[in-house]
Amino acid sequence: MDSRVTPEVVADEDRYPTLTAAGRQMLHFLREHPHAPIYRNQSGNRLTAEDVERVLAFEREALAAPVGWHPGGQPDWLDGFVAGCLADVPFYRRYGAMPEKFEQLPTISRADLSPDIAQFVPDTLPLDRVINFRTSGTTGHPLLLASHPVVAASYLAFHKRALRRFGLELMHGRGQVGVVLVGYQRACFTYVSVTPTMDESGLAKINLHPADWRDPSDRERYLDALDPEVYAGDPLSFAVLATLPLRTRPRALLSTSMALSPGLRERLQERFGCPVVDLYSMNEAGPVAVADAAVGGHVLLQHRLFVEILDSAGHRLPAGERGEVTLTGGFNSWLPLLRYRTGDHAALRFDGSVPVLVGLEGRPPVRFRTVAGEWINNIEVTHALQRFAIPQFTVCQQADGALHVRLCGVSHERERIREALVDLFGAGQRVSVEDVEAFDGKVVQYTSRLADACP
Amino acid sequence: MRRLAEAPEDFLAEPRVGGTGRIEVAAVVGDLVRMLGGDVLATDLREFTGGAGAGDRNRLAVVLLLCWLLADDWFQRVRPGAPDVLRVLREGAPELAAGVAAPKVQSDPDRREETARLVLALLGYRPAGETPAQAQDRLTSLSSAERARVLKAARSAEERARAIRQALARKAAEESADKWTRE
Repeated sequence: MDSRVTPEVVADEDRYPTLTAAGRQMLHFLREHPHAPIYRNQSGNRLTAEDVERVLAFEREALAAPVGWHPGGQPDWLDGFVAGCLADVPFYRRYGAMPEKFEQLPTISRADLSPDIAQFVPDTLPLDRVINFRTSGTTGHPLLLASHPVVAASYLAFHKRALRRFGLELMHGRGQVGVVLVGYQRACFTYVSVTPTMDESGLAKINLHPADWRDPSDRERYLDALDPEVYAGDPLSFAVLATLPLRTRPRALLSTSMALSPGLRERLQERFGCPVVDLYSMNEAGPVAVADAAVGGHVLLQHRLFVEILDSAGHRLPAGERGEVTLTGGFNSWLPLLRYRTGDHAALRFDGSVPVLVGLEGRPPVRFRTVAGEWINNIEVTHALQRFAIPQFTVCQQADGALHVRLCGVSHERERIREALVDLFGAGQRVSVEDVEAFDGKVVQYTSRLADACP
Repeated sequence: MRRLAEAPEDFLAEPRVGGTGRIEVAAVVGDLVRMLGGDVLATDLREFTGGAGAGDRNRLAVVLLLCWLLADDWFQRVRPGAPDVLRVLREGAPELAAGVAAPKVQSDPDRREETARLVLALLGYRPAGETPAQAQDRLTSLSSAERARVLKAARSAEERARAIRQALARKAAEESADKWTRE
């Protein structure tokens, strides 16, 4: 048991407060299947009957509400949201009174959330049913975030909104498996549950790493038996999923956590014969946007989330200019975000009144130096490598200018990848390529040991 | 006290901090010192430039209000020296800003009285007709009441924070709840 956890018994009635005989049967099927993996943990939906109604009402609202605001303006709900933050949230109360303009409010980052998340929980909210989500923190700021079962269940509203862009409505129900969340890590939180808002359809969170299975071939047998409507995971776990000889086909793949290259998306779409929906999502704010090639970027999903693009000094940039994605609002009332700098970078463009994040890249930009001495943005490296179906990679420029590339899952492409980098950086560029079995989670993709590499 | 209540818009406006806000507080402080007949070096004004970041916004907003108060005709007649004026701003503003938001310094009658008395006391003056003991008693009583309120609020905030941390450490909280995607 985690040393931070106080000894306490959690019963199945707490994990599944509305469980019926059908739900119990689904849990039994998922847990006791002869080819089931070793489930290492327990969790549940934790939704009461009243919660289920709240989640369904939120879903109706989230699916029907327009998302966005007039270019150059701000959404109607923003002033009320800010006033609530300044009145009820200890951290924001220190700001004092409401400034004349929204953009005069200070910004925050992971470094502010990390030391004590209690400062961000509004005074007005009850604590008896809070849950937490932890993130490892590739930037040196691990987070422990406060949330609530209703908030966690409300993710599905935005998944449905994202799927609708691709003409998909979820169809599964009682007795069927709605989603399997696949991971591929040495250690992974795994469990089974049911989704009450989908008539207790099954949910399994599994680890594809062979260490979690009695026999590696159990993976395809188990997944074929479950035949889920949706798989959710990250590019790395999907790359492993694609190698399994599955007979069944999902209706969609939901990809989160890491950048999904166009090459891998195409390969996965071909392999599974269904749309691969790439979500820009984070623990702090949930699903923020969905990639849509038809509009050339990530379309925002949440009707109460305001997005600004800021320069490094914190000034708001006009539409079309690239800067840091900064969020206000969200649907987690236990973590109201007020000008939260995500560390991710993009430009904001409007498709009509719908905001679209263009050229979204995780983490701050890093400049790389070419053989000719020119500086190029890391986004150019992304473009050079996007035709390769690389599940996960890192590029580090050493102090002497040499590039060190670490690749996961594409050893057969390593020479072509090296050539692509030489084409970009110029003849004579030294590139060493290392194959990595697994990165075990998120990584900082681009780094440099050269001075002036971080503009 | 009436002067504080009648502070014009410019002295209630957003101080410039980290590239945002309208009023350059350091410039206002410099003008005030010169208006009172003193000289001021750029280094004396550094702590009023907003360089300490967004968390400094409330203190600078209080500095602006103190500048307005110190620009009163009475102070122009008395002409406190530049070191004394800067000391009032350096010591008085953080003391007041620690407990209340700047707008309350202007809008709340008790905070207005406390502010006016604190400025006089820091300069070695007292309200007309009061003995030094009476002036000190009244200031202590005003600031004690405010301190008590601030302490009570701080205690209650700390209790709430502790309750949140405990709630988040419960096994049920650690087990979390279903999300269809994980980040």
